[in-house]
Amino acid sequence: MVTGATTPLGRSVTRALLARPGDGKVLAIGAESGAGFPSTLAAPALYYERADLTRSRHIRSLLYGSAKRHNVEVVVHAAHHRSARDVGDAVHALNVRSTRELVSLSERHPTIRRFVFLSHVDVYAVDPRQSVLITEDHPLELKGHAPQRVRDRVEADLTVCTRMGLADVKYAVLRMAEVPIADSGSQLFDYLRSRVCLRPLGFDPMLNLLSLDDAVDAVVRAVDSDVEGVLNIPGADTLPLSRVIALAQRSGFGVPGPLLTPLYGARASTRGLEFRYDMNHRRFHFSAILDGTRAKELLAYEPLRPLNWDAIAAAVRE
Amino acid sequence: MPVPRSLKRLALRALLPREDYVRVMRATFGDAGHGYDPLGLSAEDFAFAMALAFPFYAHYFRVRSYGAEHIPKRGPAIVAANHSGMLPVDGVMLAVDIARKTRPTRIPRTVGDVFIPFMPWVGTAFSRAGVVSGSRGNFRHLLESGELLLVFPEGTPGISKGFQKRYQLQEFRVGHAELALRHRAPVVPTAVIGAEESWAQIGRVEGLGAFGAPFLPVPLTPLPLPARFHLHYGEPIALHEIFDPEDSEDPSVVVKAARIVQTAVEKLVQRGLSERAGVFV
Repeated sequence: MVTGATTPLGRSVTRALLARPGDGKVLAIGAESGAGFPSTLAAPALYYERADLTRSRHIRSLLYGSAKRHNVEVVVHAAHHRSARDVGDAVHALNVRSTRELVSLSERHPTIRRFVFLSHVDVYAVDPRQSVLITEDHPLELKGHAPQRVRDRVEADLTVCTRMGLADVKYAVLRMAEVPIADSGSQLFDYLRSRVCLRPLGFDPMLNLLSLDDAVDAVVRAVDSDVEGVLNIPGADTLPLSRVIALAQRSGFGVPGPLLTPLYGARASTRGLEFRYDMNHRRFHFSAILDGTRAKELLAYEPLRPLNWDAIAAAVRE
Repeated sequence: MPVPRSLKRLALRALLPREDYVRVMRATFGDAGHGYDPLGLSAEDFAFAMALAFPFYAHYFRVRSYGAEHIPKRGPAIVAANHSGMLPVDGVMLAVDIARKTRPTRIPRTVGDVFIPFMPWVGTAFSRAGVVSGSRGNFRHLLESGELLLVFPEGTPGISKGFQKRYQLQEFRVGHAELALRHRAPVVPTAVIGAEESWAQIGRVEGLGAFGAPFLPVPLTPLPLPARFHLHYGEPIALHEIFDPEDSEDPSVVVKAARIVQTAVEKLVQRGLSERAGVFV
């Protein structure tokens, strides 16, 4: 069962799971109606169901209805609220409460034996006094003034982590580097949509970015494995912010750091864009790169497919 | 702001010997795919930094070095040196010297203080030239990657001591010894002679706290004096053969290991001082 199946990552994971040899079935869950689910994915082994994961009753009906009927063994929980600007209870319900509910019900479920949660590099605190390479035991972003999206991601991540080793269900939390593609909630993608990308003057941190293909590969490996724990999923592209801007064929311009939050706030207000500088303030100053050693050891995952920068450059221009 | 490529090329052509540039560009480092390693080093930027430093290295401080053959050709290793001179000119001269004298060329990864990344431009420039902030995780990653580290175990107290304390080593921090032991990395004790006289500090302004820097130094002269630098590399110390690497968790063992390194550096400093003919010659 794949939640968030209508997101670019959810769709790609669904496609990859269907393409595997064997007679496995995929139950894809999305908020949109079935008509909105890409027909390119149509396959006899694919079942799509619309569900509102913000509602406890829907989750219960889903798990003890369709999921039980299809003998779902593995849950890939990829649903999260995409807009970084939206806040409030509904957002929290999807990001956190749905995760808690899914975890709780999975443990009592007769067929579910594995739960793969797709977390995000945002959960880590970026602190230049710590190592640039972030291992799984790196401090998390637990500051009270962090944006809701970050706080929600941390809470959801920890919600899954707290159950590890306490139930028959085997949990894997994949803390993934950012996949800079459209419609995925990628802050960097939205940042690059401006012709002129403003950077904090005097800083050019290293970023690590993940391609969709590598992200899917990591998820499929986690689905097929029984490994329990937190695993960082880095990408094949490690480069400075200035190089990211150049490869996306945008112009970079240094601006004193304190001006960036109001400037990008004004941009969001006038153009309705998603990028929030306050959410990216630390990583636009200081390098933070996921260390994928554990994923390599336990999942045999290695980032091998770099981003297609020409495609990204074309996409951000649209 | 990234330095324009044309300016880099001009500096490289005008300031750095061609063979040094070629050897640095051929040096192996953990390129993560775009010409940078995960900690920010770029071979081209290291060569550019080397080009900017080379006139000082060759003509102003007229660096002489002895015993560079002691630096391991490959594998994890730590060059541990005394620290002095108000600003880390000694680190720059050592980095240039190591890159020039090692065969095959090794780009040293200088371990700086943790406040460096907070400094605009400086943090970025240092990171491109291979400087890393001295966190345990960075240290571990570099040793596991088989890199050559350049450390100043005295830390900021070494560089900030007044002129009256020149060539008196401050208490060595022990982190380098612990990690050398754990990762079985040899330590090359190194003495820098000349940096103390080149830029004497006569006072400091504390409490500014700008970008995390602990103080603002007050120099005797506005620019460093052209004292001749002498760099003495000693024989590598295999701490892991003296102590059991399993004991790297034992604080008393780590302190003893750091003392061994400090004593070796002290001896080299004394030897260097006795061998030089004068401060400027």
